[in-house]
Formats: sequence, structure tokens, C-alpha cells
Amino acid sequence: MSTESPVGSSDGRGVPDITPFPVNGEPRAPFAPSFTQPESLQTFLAELLADQQRLQTPAARAAAIHEVQPAAFRGERFRDLIPLTAPGPGEQYAFEVDLDACSGCKACVAGCHSLNGLDENETWRDVGLVLGGAPDHPFQQTVTTACHHCADPACLNGCPVLAYEKDPVTGIVRHLDDQCIGCSYCVLKCPYDVPKYNERLGIVRKCDMCHGRLAEGEAPACVQACPTQAIAIVKVATFSSETTAPNPQLAALSSTDSSYTRPTTRYVSKRELPARLRPADADTLRPQHAHLALIFLLTGTQLGLGLMIAALLPGVPAWIAGLGWAFFFAGLVASIAHLGQPFRAWRVFLNLRKSWLSREAIVLGHAFAPLSLYVAVRFGLLDHLPPPPSLVRAHLPEIVQLTGWAGAVFGLLGVFCSGMIYADTRRVFWRPAQSLGRMLGTVLVAALTFTAPVLAAAVLAAKLALELVTLRGSSHPARLQRGPLLMLLSGRLLAGGFALAFLIMHEPVLAFVWLVLGELAERTLFFRAVDSPKMPGVPAV
Amino acid sequence: MKTFVENVLHARTGPMTTELVRHPADFGLGQVPTRLKPVSTTRSVCGFCATGCSLHIHLDANGQAINLSADGAYPVNLGMACPKGWEALTPLAASDRVTTPLLRNPQTGKLEPVGWSTALRVFTDRLKDVQQKHGPHSIAYLSTGQVPVEEMALLGALFKFGMGGLHCDSNTRQCMATAHVAYKQAFGFDAPPYTYQDFEESDVLVFVGSNPAIAHPIMWQRVMMNKNSPQIIVLDPRRTETAMAATRHVALRPKSDLFLLYGIAHVLVEENRIRRDYLDAHTTGFAEFATFLADYPPDRVAAETGIAADDIRQLARIIARGRAVSFWWTMGVNQGHESTRTAQAIINLALMTGNIGRPGTGANSITGQCNAMGSRLYANATSLLGGRDFAKPAHRAEVARILDIPEAHIPSQPSKAYDQIIDAIETGEIKGLWVIATNPAHSWINQGRFAQLREKLDFLVVQDMYATTETAQMADLVLPAAGWGEKDGVFINSERRVGLTRKVSAAPGQALSDFAIFKLIAEAWGCGDLFRRWSTPAAAFQILKDLSKGQPCDISGIRDHDHVEKRGGIQWPWTEADEASRGAAAETRGPTPSPDNQRRLFADGKFFTPDGRARLLFDAPRPMPEPTDASYPFLLNTGRGSSAQWHTGSRTNKSDVLRKLAPTALYVEIHPADADRLGIANNAPVVVRSRRGAADAFAVVTATVQPGQLFMPMHFDAVNRLTFPSFDPHSRQPSYKACAVTVDTGA
Repeated sequence: MSTESPVGSSDGRGVPDITPFPVNGEPRAPFAPSFTQPESLQTFLAELLADQQRLQTPAARAAAIHEVQPAAFRGERFRDLIPLTAPGPGEQYAFEVDLDACSGCKACVAGCHSLNGLDENETWRDVGLVLGGAPDHPFQQTVTTACHHCADPACLNGCPVLAYEKDPVTGIVRHLDDQCIGCSYCVLKCPYDVPKYNERLGIVRKCDMCHGRLAEGEAPACVQACPTQAIAIVKVATFSSETTAPNPQLAALSSTDSSYTRPTTRYVSKRELPARLRPADADTLRPQHAHLALIFLLTGTQLGLGLMIAALLPGVPAWIAGLGWAFFFAGLVASIAHLGQPFRAWRVFLNLRKSWLSREAIVLGHAFAPLSLYVAVRFGLLDHLPPPPSLVRAHLPEIVQLTGWAGAVFGLLGVFCSGMIYADTRRVFWRPAQSLGRMLGTVLVAALTFTAPVLAAAVLAAKLALELVTLRGSSHPARLQRGPLLMLLSGRLLAGGFALAFLIMHEPVLAFVWLVLGELAERTLFFRAVDSPKMPGVPAV
Repeated sequence: MKTFVENVLHARTGPMTTELVRHPADFGLGQVPTRLKPVSTTRSVCGFCATGCSLHIHLDANGQAINLSADGAYPVNLGMACPKGWEALTPLAASDRVTTPLLRNPQTGKLEPVGWSTALRVFTDRLKDVQQKHGPHSIAYLSTGQVPVEEMALLGALFKFGMGGLHCDSNTRQCMATAHVAYKQAFGFDAPPYTYQDFEESDVLVFVGSNPAIAHPIMWQRVMMNKNSPQIIVLDPRRTETAMAATRHVALRPKSDLFLLYGIAHVLVEENRIRRDYLDAHTTGFAEFATFLADYPPDRVAAETGIAADDIRQLARIIARGRAVSFWWTMGVNQGHESTRTAQAIINLALMTGNIGRPGTGANSITGQCNAMGSRLYANATSLLGGRDFAKPAHRAEVARILDIPEAHIPSQPSKAYDQIIDAIETGEIKGLWVIATNPAHSWINQGRFAQLREKLDFLVVQDMYATTETAQMADLVLPAAGWGEKDGVFINSERRVGLTRKVSAAPGQALSDFAIFKLIAEAWGCGDLFRRWSTPAAAFQILKDLSKGQPCDISGIRDHDHVEKRGGIQWPWTEADEASRGAAAETRGPTPSPDNQRRLFADGKFFTPDGRARLLFDAPRPMPEPTDASYPFLLNTGRGSSAQWHTGSRTNKSDVLRKLAPTALYVEIHPADADRLGIANNAPVVVRSRRGAADAFAVVTATVQPGQLFMPMHFDAVNRLTFPSFDPHSRQPSYKACAVTVDTGA
């Protein structure tokens, strides 16, 4: 195959002008063969196919003119968009978005994605739309959002392994990717939907304000990518926890009150934002992730705890304790399966000070040992051990019983922590009455099913009533349950109804089977129908 | 010890952290993740819209593109790109790329892989068979504004001079035909006069049917860079992103723009706010126009447009008082039933006020596709190569001489336009159709008809990157094409800038550049000898230069592809004389456009008409072809929905990032008053129906559309089931933006 190109005059007359040595003098790889005399279609085809695969390699380009991106360009263009000095005491970095300049091109999202090497389906920034204004003076505004690098970050407070850090100087909320256990609790905690779970890695990742770029005086990717210079990094005063950061524009643009995290992003506009702005996706009903493992964790530990509590009462057979233990154990196993990085889970105690997830893990773990011991004794599994000292032997039944009750108390505390995990997200559907009511309710019904079925029926009826309260009104949870999740809701009510009926008929075994199914459905609804606060999105169904 | 414990407890580093750690890259890129650090970089002009941004392509050791960023040293985009540009490499890696030719198996009815030899044999046998049975002009092609000039010129030459075909058109008919005809009639040549810096130089900018904030965001950046605190006037029935940013939004009734423009012209004449000297020296037709305008007093125009007479007077005064007034139009004008005259009404305003040929002025068409401008000059469809006329013997002789082909091979008759080709398929006049890099089964107006016509064709061949487009799914034969980024060539952008696009990625399987496919077809057809000179895109570029010489679009001063890149693109005209006298000064390639690397037309007041004068052209407005009535009470407007979507989505839908940024499904914007009346809740499912079809959508209740009007984005295929096929008589461009529909909850 010929790879030599005929040398032609650049006036282009007569001879093809594929000059191997163009005027500017640098040699050029002959990346396109000349097809002047194809011998046959087959060889011609082969040449074309080979040529199609041939790329100009760096070696061939070595001498090509490559004036770099002028450093002056970057420096000048972005000089006014990033601070010249680091924040002082009482200050931190923040995004500032000029709403008047933002045209809605969304280059910030794509630029961040490319310049930060994110996965194909991963974005750290988002652009949505708000609509409103008077009918005769309509208003629309695009809103770009990344992490708000809050003064009191909900993600950081909730993370059980302290995988979030707030930089003491810059205030940037950074995520430690190698610390993250992939529990996704921060995803639930953040009222802006900022942390994104990455399936490939089994961890969460999020915007770090390009801290490394800022440290070198380089603008963050989104700032670099904005054609209208609508995004800047500014220094803002951080506020003490007693005062609410005055950020009314962000509040006007986001649909929920999330000021408790004290987000730092400043949205500025010369125009007055009209009242009653509505995100374009405000009415989009999005059933949320079911978190299957969490459903098993919660229902397993709670039903199991209930049964074991029942077994502590006089006259209740040992198999109930065994069944309870099995449920409880299965629940704990599920909790590990839920994690994207289970081998890092041993650090879960690190944030006992603030995270209900740390507390749940530790407290439920502490319940497991005494409860297991109690059940083991009830099944005579420890009988072959050498007899304990006589003093102990004399009080053995009391000690065993006490161990069981200690486990039960820890268990109840653990269930309380479970409920608080969700209540602490401040989501309306997961308010304390719902979260704690449902979870402690599950324990109580299970405890009463085999001991006082009619009482169990009464408690279950109360629990169902508590659940039905959430169907009223036009909240997202209500509309989700009445709409896309109606089948699931029907299943839950049907199972609950059967359980009630069998309890009243004194058929505790059948009742328990329906109770299990019903609680699984209830907990699925608990996750899927939850309201999911976020910054404005694009129109979506 | 403390540190050790701290490290164990708190993993601040590790493989996952390292994955995202950014390090300074060379090539002026700033920091990039280590994993994506390029070994070398190159530049390539983006293949989506006609802004013509240069992208800085990051290459690995094999020369394969691994990432890209916006080029900071290009006078068009100044280091910026829109999300489509940032994601330009992603569609190349899509899993549904077609990697071998596909032939429909008559037994199974499915498209099945075949070799290139078979594909070429089927292509030539079937099309020649059609020609034999139904005459040489019974085959046609529909092409695109998305491929480089070298490819479209070779295609046009091959089809008309080699294969004996006559009827061909491209999807530029759907976006730019009007601007082409309007300029050609008014200026004597299809010559948008501006350079992007005019966005910065104006003190009044008038946008007509144009939403650059999201449709051309990188052009909009130049508006935002305007230091004159300009008045920005937007004529648009919708309160678009651009209208929001305007100093004055004129929410006129749909398709009443011609009235409004005449009304403004009337006030200019009435109040004697015209540049009489300019009109006398450089135009013809003003006297007739002035007489004609007498019938368009503000009161009448107010009744037609819904804009108060006082507002019309004020608009005229703002325009008259402006020091440098630029007029910009896009699809809101081009896609109308009287679009050519509307565009010319804009041109007339510029001429009457002397706003042409100076910085910050002009009657400026913002182009749609990346190479629509190349198509207008070199597609060889409506115009003979280089903006010539098929009907003129001298032009045919010239082209025959330049291409060294027999003059008899050049037809003298005009091609049918897109809609006429579709009609000819219906009447059985055209039996073989070749579709290249476009998706008419989605995009053609009243698309239901296109699907029915498939049955009338003996042979449909589709050449595309994907076999999944609506049109490829109907084909008998699919030819696998390389896409943008997998081939070399030049695009011509909206401001007439020739820019280079490069091969930076290996095409999948046996996919070939369109250029290579055309070359193969020429050989298989038996007319390869005619195209020996077209050996490569680089060689074809030299032919384009020859074809341009002496034409208004002369690019003979450009040496070659490398010269184009080195200069940061070169606007036409750039003659050999220009290069000799000013070439050295233009050598600097930088982020700021300098007088030497940009130019605007008509500074001397000389136009390309035989007498050198611009024409003032006008016609009385005609009523909308499908007005609303009791059964179909809403007027449907269609258009670009977001900056993250491109046309029928065959490429942009392949990017997760772009899909995230776009609405998730077809929606319809409806005014709150209408929604309340019809019981349509925000986000509720609705059905929009026209006389031609129905489309499911969800409601976006917003006052940004006026009562009685609906808006739907064109990127979802159901929209063109609804649109009404009417065409501008001069440009044959379809009127996508006005048809009568009704909307209900579908219950």
C-alpha cells in the first residue's frame, strides 16, 4: 500500500495537494494514503478500513505546533472569580451564583464531569429550573447547584465513620473516599441531594469545590466552564450555630426549608425574585430507593426483638425465643450486606457523638450478645460447659433472666436509635411520630402476638391507623402512596388485615406470618414513599 | 504511634482517593485527574451546532481521544463549550454503533450483518435497477449539515456528476434554507455579514425568533461580554431564557413577526428615522417598499400582533437611536410559512437604518448545524458547487473545467427540494432513496407521512453511525459511518469561519468515514475515474479552494487543513491576495479576536448583486396555513427544549450526562389559565392531538407560554406527528412552529 503522498503545488491545480512537508515546515505523518490507482475494489476497501483505524500518534505530532493554552487566558479570565487569599477566621469559601448571568446552558455540569474525571453517569453539579411569577409577567430561572459546603453539614453529622471533614481553613466539606463504608446515610441526610452513590466503587462521592485547584490559584472546573462567568468562589462569614445564615435567595429557590444545615452558596440577582417560585420538578413523583437490606434489617431486628421479649415472659416456649433470635440475627446480617464497603464497617463507632447510625450499630450490637446468651441457655446449648461456681449456680435462673432483659433493654434502645436515624433526616414522612411509632410498634405487636393476641390486634390497629394518616393531603408521600405505590399500599393493608383477623381468632402463628409480610411491605413503603428534598430539577415525570 | 492510629481510624488516602486526585497537566490544561493525563493534545471544531467551537482534545499514547476541554485559544469560543461539546466524545462509544453494513433479510425481515463488498454490490445493483426501470432521476438522497464540507461536496458531485442523479437535498432545508434564499435574493449571495464580535460591539441587539441563551450558549457569552450596557430586544411569543435576559421582551402573537417588522419599518419612514443617503447609494427598491409600508400603520399592526401601537413606535425609536444595531434571527423566523420575506424584512430594517458593514451591526442569521454554511455553498443540491447556479452555462463550464469532468455530466435543471422529493416518492416518481446522517422519520414535518412513504420506495439505504435511528430501522440497507471525531475535514460556522475537525478516535468495527464510503461507491458504481482528484479530505479541500476562487466565498488564500488550525479558523472571504498582504498579521492565534483574524462583509456598501446594490424585498403577510378553530383551539409551537439535546437525539441521548440535564420525557408547556380551564394539573399526563396525529406528553404548567398556545420540544419523536406541512414558497423550508392542536387529559 502506498503511503507516499504526491507532492503538489499549493495552488491546487491538477495535482492533489497532500504535501508531506507543509509550509510551516513541521513533518507530518502520512496518515492518509493516496488512493490514486486502486487495483481492485477489495484492496481499495482494505486500504480504507486500515486508514480509518489509523490515528495520528503523539510521536508523529511531536513537532506539531502546540502553543499551550495561554496561561494568561486562564489567569485573566478567572482572576475575579476566585479569592486572592485564603479565608480568615470566621470565614469560609462558598459558591456564588449570579442568577442574572446564568443562561441555562448547563456547561458547568458537563465541565465538572470532564475536568474531574467522573464516571459516565456521575455528576456533581446539577442545573434545574424554577418557574413562577404573575401570569402577565412570567418568570423562569435556571439554578445551578453543587454541594453547598454547609456550615453545619447534615452529611458530616450523620456519617457513622467520619468520612466527611470540614476543612478548618477553607470550610470545604470534603468526603474521604477511602473511609466511606457506602452506607448511603449521607444521601438521606443531605436535604439538597448532593452526595451521589457510586455503584462501581460502593461508596459515595461528591463535590470538593476543586480544593486542589483553588489551592494553586486555579478556578474550580465549574467556574472555568461557565461561558457567562455566573459562578464564582467567594469568602463568606460563617455563622455560629445560634444564628441562621441569611440566605433567603437559596431558600426561595429550594422547595424545602433546609436552613438548619446553614448552606453557604450565595445566589445573587439584581432582580427581586418573585414569590411562590416552583421548581420545574416540584410535582414529579419519584418513588425512592427501597433499600432492601435496610427493610430486612429493620423488620428483622424489630420482629425478632419483640419475640425475644415475649419469650422472657413466664410460660412462653423456647422456640419463640429461637425464632426471635433468628429474625434478629438475619436483620444484623442484612445491615452488613447493605454496605458498599462492608470490610470498612468496623469503624462504625467513630461518630457516636453525633450519628444515630453509629449509635444504632453499637447499641444493637450490644443487645445481640446478651440476647444470644439467653437464647442459648433456653435451648440448653451451654449445658455441656463446666458448671459455674456455686454462688452463680444458685442464682442462675435469675442471672439468665436478667441477661435476657438487659438484651431486651439494649434492643429497645437500638430500635429507638433506628427510628432516630430516619427522624434525624428531617424528612416529613419520617418525622419522629412515624419513624419511632412504626418501629417500636413492630416490636410491640411481635411481643404480644403469642402472649396477648387481642392486645396485639389493638396495637396493630393503632399502628395501621398511624400509617394511614400519611395518606391524607397532597404531600409527596401521600401522592406516592395513592399513586405509583398503590399496589404496595394495598398489599400492606391486606396483610395487615389478615394479621388482625388471625390475631382476633387467636391464631398467633398464622397471624405472625401475615404480620411479617405486612411489616415488610410497610417498611418498603416507608422507604419508597418518603419525601426527597432536593434543589430544583428539570421537568420530569 | 498517634499518627498510625489516626491513619488506621481515618483513611485520608488510598486507591479511591487517588482516583480523583488532580495533578497539573501539560498543554495549559490546568489540573486533571492523573488517570486522564494526556500524552498529547490536538484541536478539533465541534460537530454539533454552527457556533463552531474549538475543542481541545486530550489524547493517549496511541493518539486516541480520552477526554476534552474547551479551547482557550480560539476566537469563537474563548475557552468555553456547551454541554454537548463537553460530551462530544461520549456518543462515539455508544453500544449501538453500527459496525458492519446491515442488509434486510427478506426471509426474516430483520437487518443482518453483511460484508462491505455485498453492501456495495446491493447498493449499486438496486439503485441502478431503479434508474433502469424508472429513469435516472428516480433516485434521490437526503443528506445533512453535520458532515464536513469535503464529504458533502464529494457526495453532491458523485450523485449528480457520477451516478446521474438529480434530486437531492439535506436537512439544512429544515433549518437554514430561508436564510440562504433571503440573503441570496437581497445581497446577491448567501452571505451572513457578521463576525461574532458584533455581539460585543452593538448597543442595541434585536433577537427575532431566537433563543441563543440555550440554543447557542457560546454565542450568548459574547452578548454577556458586551460592555455597552446594550438594549436587548427579544421578539418571541414565549418568555424564553433569552427573553428573560432581555431588556425588552416583545411577546408578539405567533407568526405575526412579518407584520411587526413592517410596522417598525413604517414608523421609521413616517418619523423619517431612516438613512436616506445609505439607501440611495447602496440599495434598490426603497421607493416601492416605502409605498408598500403605508398599509402597515402601528394601529393595524397592533391589532395583528397583539403589541400596542406605542410599543411599536418605541421599538422603532430604539432601533433608530442605536449607534450600532444588530439584528439576529434563528429558527423562529426560518421555520415559517413566509419565512424568506420575514428574514428580508429584518434585512430591510438593517439597510434602512444603515446598520450594516460596521462593527456591531448587521442583519444576521444565526445558523443551526455545524456545517449548514458549508452545505449552503458546497452540497451541490440547490446551488452548483461554490454557490453557483446550475442554470447558468458559464457556471457549469467553470465547474467542469475545475473538476476536469465532461460538462455534459452537470445537469442544468434544478433539484427538487426536500418536500418535493417526499411528494415525488408519493407519486412514484422517486423509487430509490439514500439517507445520509439524518433522521427524517423523526424530524420531517408531519412524520406519519414519511413512515407511509417507506412502502412506496423500492430501495431505502441509510448511512449513519447508528442503526437505531427511526429511519435506519426502516432501511433495506444500512451503511456504517464513522462519526464526528473519527474523520478529518472542515466545517464553516455561522460567521463564515472555516474550522478544522480532526480524526481523534478509531471508528468501531468496519465503520468508515462518509468520505471513504462515497469513494467506495464511486468505484463500485464505475465512475471512480471522475473523482481521482478527490483522494483524501485534504485533497478535496484543495478542490474546494479552486471552486471558491473568484466567488464571494473565496478561500483560495487558505493553504491547507493545517493552515486552518494554525490560524484559529479562517473566515471567508480569504483570497490569495489577502493571504499575501495580510497573512503575516493574521498569524497570531489567540483568545481575543484581532482585526486580522476576523472580518465582516459590506463595509464598502458593495453587495454581490450584479449592480452592487442590496435589494429591499417584501410581500404582504399571508394568514397562517392552519389557524386554530373550535376543534383545534391551541397553536402549537415547537423548538429546542434544552441545551443538552441536539435535534433527534441520536447522539445526545447516548450521553448519561446530557440525558440527566434534559427533561425525561416529552412535555408540553401550557398556560396556567388554560390548564385550570381544562383541569390539567402540573405534571399530569395529557394527549396533544392535531389533524394528523396524537402525542402523549406531560404538562408543564407555566405562564412563559401565552394563553391559547402550547410549546413542545422537538427532540422527542412524537412531536412531528402533529406538525402541519406548510412551506415557505421561496425557501421550501417547513413551518414547524405553527399548527392547530387540541390538548386533553386523555381520559
